[in-house]
Amino acid sequence: MKTEYEVVYSTQNIYEETVREAFYSFLVLPCHDDSQVVRHLSLSNSLEAEVFHHPNAFGFEVTSLHTVKPFQVFEFQMRALVEKTAPLFPLEGILSVPEEQQLLCDHLFYLENHLFLGAGQYTQIKEAYRPGLLMRAPDQLVYDYLQQLNRFVHGLLEFDPEPTHVCTTANEVLKLRRGVCQDFTHLFIGIARLNQIPCRYVSGYLNQGLNLTGSAVMHAWAEAYIPGFGWQGFDPTNHLLADGHYLKAAHGSDYADCSPLRGTLKTNGGHKTTYGVTVTPLEPPQAAQQQQQQAQSTLSL
Amino acid sequence: MDAAMRQTQTSDVFRNYQIPPQFLDEVFNAPGQVHPHYENVYRQFLEFSKEEFKELNEHAKMSFFNQGITFSVYSDKAKGVERIFPFDLFPRIIPATEWARVEEGILQRCVAMNLFIQDIYSKQHILRDKVVPAELIFSSKNYLKAMLDIKPVGGIYNHISGTDLIKHSDGEYYVLEDNLRCPSGISYVLSNRVAMKRTLFQMVRQFNVRTVQEYPQELLATMQSVSPHGIDAPNCVVLTPGVYNSAYYEHAFLALTMGVPLVEGRDLYVERSFVYMKTINGPKRVDVVYRRLDDDFLDPMAFKPDSLLGVPGIMAAYKKGNVNLINAPGTGFADDKAVYTYVPEIIKYYLNQEPILNNVHTYRCEKEDDFKYVLENMANLVIKPVDESGGYGILIGNKATQEELKEFKTLISENRRKYIAQPIMDLSMHATFIEGEDQFEPRHVDLRTFTLLGKDRQFVLKGGLSRVALKKGSLIVNSSQGGGSKDTWVMMDDGSNNASMQQNGSMSQSMTMNGQTMTMGPEGMSMAKPGAE
Repeated sequence: MKTEYEVVYSTQNIYEETVREAFYSFLVLPCHDDSQVVRHLSLSNSLEAEVFHHPNAFGFEVTSLHTVKPFQVFEFQMRALVEKTAPLFPLEGILSVPEEQQLLCDHLFYLENHLFLGAGQYTQIKEAYRPGLLMRAPDQLVYDYLQQLNRFVHGLLEFDPEPTHVCTTANEVLKLRRGVCQDFTHLFIGIARLNQIPCRYVSGYLNQGLNLTGSAVMHAWAEAYIPGFGWQGFDPTNHLLADGHYLKAAHGSDYADCSPLRGTLKTNGGHKTTYGVTVTPLEPPQAAQQQQQQAQSTLSL
Repeated sequence: MDAAMRQTQTSDVFRNYQIPPQFLDEVFNAPGQVHPHYENVYRQFLEFSKEEFKELNEHAKMSFFNQGITFSVYSDKAKGVERIFPFDLFPRIIPATEWARVEEGILQRCVAMNLFIQDIYSKQHILRDKVVPAELIFSSKNYLKAMLDIKPVGGIYNHISGTDLIKHSDGEYYVLEDNLRCPSGISYVLSNRVAMKRTLFQMVRQFNVRTVQEYPQELLATMQSVSPHGIDAPNCVVLTPGVYNSAYYEHAFLALTMGVPLVEGRDLYVERSFVYMKTINGPKRVDVVYRRLDDDFLDPMAFKPDSLLGVPGIMAAYKKGNVNLINAPGTGFADDKAVYTYVPEIIKYYLNQEPILNNVHTYRCEKEDDFKYVLENMANLVIKPVDESGGYGILIGNKATQEELKEFKTLISENRRKYIAQPIMDLSMHATFIEGEDQFEPRHVDLRTFTLLGKDRQFVLKGGLSRVALKKGSLIVNSSQGGGSKDTWVMMDDGSNNASMQQNGSMSQSMTMNGQTMTMGPEGMSMAKPGAE
């Protein structure tokens, strides 16, 4: 089943003092993969600066711009039409448990996936926290385990945007037992990797028609590698599998590889960043009217 | 003063010289008897009285103040104080044949390391074949995923390597460290030669010493050889973190001697994935950047986001092949001291050759049996963190107090991957003039060499920086830790009679670039614009 979505990412940055020089990088374009194609893309910014694209370390397109025009307000908007095909879910029993484990322990497989197996700053889990975590049973298939892990993480944490920030690590989340999609995802990744299952951080957009948590802003979920099948998306924040409602922008080892906006500027004083996302399915038409309202969220970076 | 009278006075500076029993003495065979290649220099030094030598020493010091060659040390006290790097007038001499072998070994090592870095950032054959453990590489903080699948122009990563050598009591050279990130010290090599000539010109000119003054031009040619495709006259720059960096003098020195702009991050910007320099005549495209800035600070878009020293977007330009960076980012995993253990295997793997230079046996605390050995034998080992430089964070077992040993035991146990240990090497000793004592005494020396790799070109500087541990008995030669240095003479031939009284004019080299004539000669370095008075 194919659905066409209109995805709009817009941000506004207000500075107390005049900015004399700036460089911004956005990692917000929906990516191309087996299940999605970008049909149309338009970008605009309030400075009318020329943007340019370049791939990041994982091959995802980054949109950058440099300006020396003085300003105090900067607005950027990305509008994309994305054609999404609902991806197939893994079938049980393609490989047996020993076959799966043999693949996960293979040296070449490890080398190919090492960026999604190591424990970084965000995803490392202290020895002390490990006993309380859900691990794969010896006779359990990977897909079965990951679905349980999805439920486990969803149940363990309470959604709460207050206590965490962009630098919060899995260890801190385990202590707080609260967090946002980024924190759910890092914890899921950290535990999956403890089980030698390659797992990566995904940032993207959620269909807003479903009233899911995280749909007003860019969302985060995890993709884990299922032997014999490939990468499957898990959304522990909503306890769902990533399906036709999930539009991926980029993936990486953790949040640091996927942060949607980075900037370096010459200015004094503080600033305020607001950004919002709208994701509107264009078909079927009956679902379309429910969305539309511009979702806004404020975060101080 | 008659000759006999002079003879009795002169040996003053050498009279109390004690040849170290357990170390190799570079100069002396036996009391009053030197190795053949030192014969002539020694005889000339005997001509000087103590007073004369003291005066010469002051003269040499002045030369450094006048050249403005200073550095500062990162420590709590005396932050930002400019110091001169102590210089010793007794040159270290390396005979031609001995050097030829050393040079071959250094080049072999640097070429192999380049292939290693290239392999790690592309197909990782050496990891597939399990010659080097993958975890060791992936756990290095200097292994950069941003470098994966990037193919730098010319296929070179370690354009500049600063291989550190020591001579052990067995008379063999050993590699102590491969410095593949931003090796420093070259400005001292060139300035030492200048100071030497200024102070003892009449003496120096009698010897057939290989020149070092061509280094800046070799470096520039290396940079030009790896410029982006389709660029005929590449615009090269030296990127410095700024005046507060301990090696700022060297950055300025290299830019000046190469005749290229010295820039800071704020002088450059990236637009449409090309790098530009801000000039009063508008933007000028930059093609090759010799950056003296650590990876972390290079690009806030790709690495440390709060770096104000770097150039936002430069990694994007690099990935597209629109600019080349010297050295490539991410070379640091290869000079990690735990990876060092594997260099002999790395050389065999890529070049199918036996390593020419020796490796010091290294215990990796990460390995169970090595860790046990290290804990039991700490007093006889040197313990080093794998990813530091400048001699920081090192413990020398036989010099450490019980407290320091205990402290290190905890440090190592908490982060075993971070530490290696090596037997305490018997660094050779060299006669060195000691102020205060006003005589020559043996002091430990090492040798930092400089190697350049470009597209289809290789260059090893003939000599290098002989660093001296000025503190009696000390093994730490780093400039930041109270070391000094010597001029290093690689001789053109092996004849023990090196004094050839060759006359070749003024012995200065000059070259013209951007309308400026730069002269390097016995009088030091000078720049002049034609027509300008």
